[in-house]
Amino acid sequence: MIHNFFVLSPRGDTILAKQYRSSEMGAHERTHTEAFFRKIQFWDDTKSVAEDAEDISTTSLENKKRVGDAPPVFVMPDGLTYFHIRRNGLVLGASSARNVSPNTVLELLSTIARIFKDYCGTLSEEALRKNFILCYELLDEMIDFGYPQVTRTENLKSFVYNEPIVVDSVPLTGNMVNPKTASAAAVHKPVISSVSANGRKTTGQQNSEIFVDILERLNVLFSNNGYVLNSTIDGCIQMKSYLAGNPELRLALNEDLVIGKHSGKYGSVCVDDMNFNDCVNRNEFESARTLSFIPPDGEFVVLNYRITGEYPTPFRIFPSMDEVSPTKVEITVLIRAEMPSNHFGANVLVEMPMPQGVVAAASCSLINAPGTGHASAEYVAAEHKIVWTMKKFPGGAEQTMKVKVTLNKPCTTQIRRQMGPINMCFEIPMYNVSNLQVRYLRVAENMVGYTPYRWVRYVTQSSSYVCRL
Amino acid sequence: MHELRMELHSTDRAVKVDAVKKVIASMTVGKDVSMLFTDVLNCVQTGNIELKKLVYLYLINYSKTQPELTLLAVNTFVKDASDSNPLIRALAVRTMGCIRVDRITEYLCDPLSRALRDEDPYVRKTAAVCVAKLYDIAPDLVEERGFIEILHDLISDSNPSVVANGVAALSEIAESSGKDVMRITASVLQKLLAALNECTEWGQVFILDSLAKYTPADGREAEGIIERVTPRLQHANSAVVMSAVKVILSYMELMGSQNSDAIRALTRKLAPPLVTLLNSEPEIQYVALRNINLIVQKRPNILENEIKVFFCKYNDPIYVKMEKLEIIIKLVSEKNIDQVLLELKEYATEVDVDFVRKAVSAIGRCAVKLERAAERCIAVLLELIQTKVNYVVQEAVIVIKDVFRRYPNRYESIIATLCDNLDTLDEPLAKASMIWIIGEYAERIDNADELLETFLETFEEEDPAVQLQLLTATVKCFLKNPEDTQDMVQRVLDMATEESDNPDLRDRGFIYWRLLSTDPDAAKIVVLGDKPVIEDDTFKLEPALLNILIGQIATLSSIYHKPPDSFVVRRRAGLPTEEDDEDDEEDDDDEYDEEVRDSGAGGVDLLDMGGMSVNDHKQFTPTAPMTRVAGPEKAGGIEVFSGFVQEGGKIFMELEFSNVSAGQDISTFAIQLNKNAFGLSPANQQVIFQPPISPGSSGTTRVEMAMNPAMQVPTPNGQNVNPQIQVAIKNMHNNGVFYFAVNLNFECLFSADGEMEKTAFIEAWKSIDDRHELYATVSDLPADSTSIEDVQQKFAAYNIFFIARRPVPNAEGQEVVYFSMKSVHGMTFFAELTFKRGVNAAKVCLKTEATSYGGLAKSALESLLRGD
Repeated sequence: MIHNFFVLSPRGDTILAKQYRSSEMGAHERTHTEAFFRKIQFWDDTKSVAEDAEDISTTSLENKKRVGDAPPVFVMPDGLTYFHIRRNGLVLGASSARNVSPNTVLELLSTIARIFKDYCGTLSEEALRKNFILCYELLDEMIDFGYPQVTRTENLKSFVYNEPIVVDSVPLTGNMVNPKTASAAAVHKPVISSVSANGRKTTGQQNSEIFVDILERLNVLFSNNGYVLNSTIDGCIQMKSYLAGNPELRLALNEDLVIGKHSGKYGSVCVDDMNFNDCVNRNEFESARTLSFIPPDGEFVVLNYRITGEYPTPFRIFPSMDEVSPTKVEITVLIRAEMPSNHFGANVLVEMPMPQGVVAAASCSLINAPGTGHASAEYVAAEHKIVWTMKKFPGGAEQTMKVKVTLNKPCTTQIRRQMGPINMCFEIPMYNVSNLQVRYLRVAENMVGYTPYRWVRYVTQSSSYVCRL
Repeated sequence: MHELRMELHSTDRAVKVDAVKKVIASMTVGKDVSMLFTDVLNCVQTGNIELKKLVYLYLINYSKTQPELTLLAVNTFVKDASDSNPLIRALAVRTMGCIRVDRITEYLCDPLSRALRDEDPYVRKTAAVCVAKLYDIAPDLVEERGFIEILHDLISDSNPSVVANGVAALSEIAESSGKDVMRITASVLQKLLAALNECTEWGQVFILDSLAKYTPADGREAEGIIERVTPRLQHANSAVVMSAVKVILSYMELMGSQNSDAIRALTRKLAPPLVTLLNSEPEIQYVALRNINLIVQKRPNILENEIKVFFCKYNDPIYVKMEKLEIIIKLVSEKNIDQVLLELKEYATEVDVDFVRKAVSAIGRCAVKLERAAERCIAVLLELIQTKVNYVVQEAVIVIKDVFRRYPNRYESIIATLCDNLDTLDEPLAKASMIWIIGEYAERIDNADELLETFLETFEEEDPAVQLQLLTATVKCFLKNPEDTQDMVQRVLDMATEESDNPDLRDRGFIYWRLLSTDPDAAKIVVLGDKPVIEDDTFKLEPALLNILIGQIATLSSIYHKPPDSFVVRRRAGLPTEEDDEDDEEDDDDEYDEEVRDSGAGGVDLLDMGGMSVNDHKQFTPTAPMTRVAGPEKAGGIEVFSGFVQEGGKIFMELEFSNVSAGQDISTFAIQLNKNAFGLSPANQQVIFQPPISPGSSGTTRVEMAMNPAMQVPTPNGQNVNPQIQVAIKNMHNNGVFYFAVNLNFECLFSADGEMEKTAFIEAWKSIDDRHELYATVSDLPADSTSIEDVQQKFAAYNIFFIARRPVPNAEGQEVVYFSMKSVHGMTFFAELTFKRGVNAAKVCLKTEATSYGGLAKSALESLLRGD
């Protein structure tokens, strides 16, 4: 299995490194991780990029080397295969000389990231550096000789003795200010029960609480005349449990839930596919759509589901484009919120890329529907795009943005194709598109006086919500 | 440092813990704290497990650099291994295994065998992994102490984690030793299947992976296992899903065709989980896509209706987009082509250049693949060319050339559009493609010569590929329209033959020149001959390789699309298969070579015919592979073929002279050999053909060879021997002397006393360093080389002695055969041949101390297998 594991900071410094197998080749050594970091930072697959003339296309060649372009699995000159994932700016990597299962390694890396977060409260360079002994201890238990061992937070508890040093979490970015939509993952609190979120040891009664999110991420692609070309929902039910005593829970879903394509009755909730966490007992799932499980401590995903095809899109986008004169283009974007009016889109962000180097000026004007929070639209020259933000976008409303773009040379097809597509980001609290519901969540055995706080939330988010221009 | 030492000796536990933490902190930032070794070690005498863990962490780190210090800790390990706390027992066992000091391993055995039978599952599970660790350091010790048998027992353990680790350890040992230690019997199978439901996600992966290596006895058993494995497809961990997919796909093969209903049901079940993988993190998506790429090649029907999920999302990372495109091309059909074309057209307007190029080329590949949609594809390509975006046009031109090759004389109407865009082309490949089109359709382009003329201005600066195409295109143009292009063709030929220092270009120039000057009609046949229609390359992995890779789904092999032995353990150059064969320029070259070869055998001395074999192979009696070594113009009107053969323990050089134009009967010659790497010299210098060879006929004779150490040129160690033997022949009739060189076919030097005892062979085989192994894969074996019996019989005739054969563990249908041989010089060679049932190929692995000669022996085996 894996030979080495390491964590690199956003600047490429080694934060943690562990060698599981002895060999002359060692990815744990600095020179190797540095070479690896350079490689993923400046991934350039095509060694012979044509040095084009001063055509516009060179501008796009320049940003060829982009962070994140490196595939997650590749061979380095030292003969080892390197795997890596990125989490919160950190690079978690592993290397192996054998014909291992890449899925296993990548899943293991994300598991490690999750466990570190569970134990340290946050996953950041500072948290890992301060808690490095704890992390090494965890690594020792999680991987032996390169084979994954115990990787469940609550099982690890009995083997791990170090206590976390809590690091103040990074202030949340503006996008995530709405507490109603911040995911359960945003609860920054180590799972070790003796330490509370502010780092002080708590002596009294612990709050028994469990966070449940029904999270749906939408992938929608509209054609330029507003038709839906492709749409999928990526849903999951995730939990973060702080329940004392790990009681068994029962989670009930819609009774009319149908799994599998082309078999749904009208009106029922129909998902294409569903998969479940290890700990979930599905005995009653077929008959009563009820799952029972003992929630592991910390964050975990109970189930994932996937829906393709027809579902009502919460927002529809209708762009139009006029060439007023060879150097002037008018773009109008109309967005209609099609969800019920008691819901609203929060933190709505609409971005529209503009060609580089040819936009002389762009002025944006907005027609707002009533009930919209603070809204603004502007052309951000540095990033070559038009950014339109709305704090709140009520259901049933319509918003329009008109952009007048002045170019410093006549508009050609080449310039034209560099405009768009329109990319929309949003969150809709307490709403889910698929209609999958949690009928109830209860503690299986009756315990008197045991009433955990249950926070159940529905959140719809955009994953890739794009309209072609 | 002193302060730290004081703290380490403190009586207060908290201070001690902090001190050790500080030591470890300095250690991890690279400071040398080994001088505190004994002080830290002292702290291990504690009941506090936290402190103990820290000390062990420190120990592992220094065990490599300071092994002698670690010896001091042995007692602690042994003591801790029988501690009352299972955590401490496990900790000791785990840590001992990580310390790779030879002398410690002896102490490790006793605690380990106790730990393997420990009452606590946590200790047993740790011990199971520790056996694998020990095997890595001292495999003999593991076998001696019977740990492997204990691991087998652990498979029936009550605790699923223990089972999982036992399976993992056994698989690892099986993989690194090549021994069949992980044999799955019926009872083991049941236990594994039972454990599958119980153990952790990682354990499930280990078990599924070992199940994938197992071959069920029949279709019914396969179905039974599949039924147990299918629920794993709904696991949230993609590793479990992929491994389950692997098991199911491997077993589906075995279920055979009589079970088409069950197979259809399974294919339906496989699609949703595979699609679900595409909704995970991009990293997982990438791995899934690489695997799906294989799966759609093997069983296209699984995902035939799901093409939409492979459409790229705007925010997909580029590596995911590229892979999705590949799969789109593989899944495209007449049903969905319109949808796909719309999508590809959209991709062609994105910003990422590589992606756009791939999308453009994908449109062309769709055209090549789907005849009925070709027209629509070409319309889209033309539309894209109109955008005049430099790289789009170039890519389009490259791919349109392929379309022309696929559908000759159908879409020539678009040539005009292409010609309009000549000036945008600045990449060699695009230029070469365009020039090919111009040359090929010179008669339809009014100003073809002018167009070529513009390219010719910069002839010397062009890339070789462009130069070659220019040369060919000009010649084509000349043949079609000799009047106007006489000057031009002359100029190109001059430039190619006299000014260029590229041998390919020069050779091709000379060939054309000669063809044009001697026989323009022949030139027409050669240069303007019909080209074979190219095929759709979407299913480009060879079926044999694909089958191997399907068995390797969910491993790195499936990411690289290469068999594991090409990059694991022995990562040496030389892949057995060529993966990528998309380069059509190359195809062009090949084709020309062939054409010329066919028509030019009459006497073009530019071509090296040395590699061509012309003799008829007789079965199982050694024959000399005859090679044409000299043509009549060199050898005074005699065409000479030569080769070497051993008969009755003597080595002969076989000579076949054919009297082409010597002008008289020939019979008497004298022969002399230059010094060579084998010390061969003629026993008798006189060569007599009886009866004499009259003009127009040919005759054969043999010259006995003697071994003469004085004639041997020593080969420096580490270099490969030159098999060439230089020969001088004097024609006694006219005292004319001619020279030629012939390559010795090494198998004629194997002596009859090369047979070995089995045990001696094993000894010798083991004693040779793995680095001296040589590999080759011989594919497309003739019918008489596919069964081991036949090969054995054939080899015996060449003094290549059969030693043993055995089936390969964990690889159904594979069998290895061992042979030994000894050259007349006394060098021994050992060979391992791997055959797979139903696969028309063999892998050759050769070991020898005489490394310089190893390459020759290997190629001798290869050519014997191939039967040439």
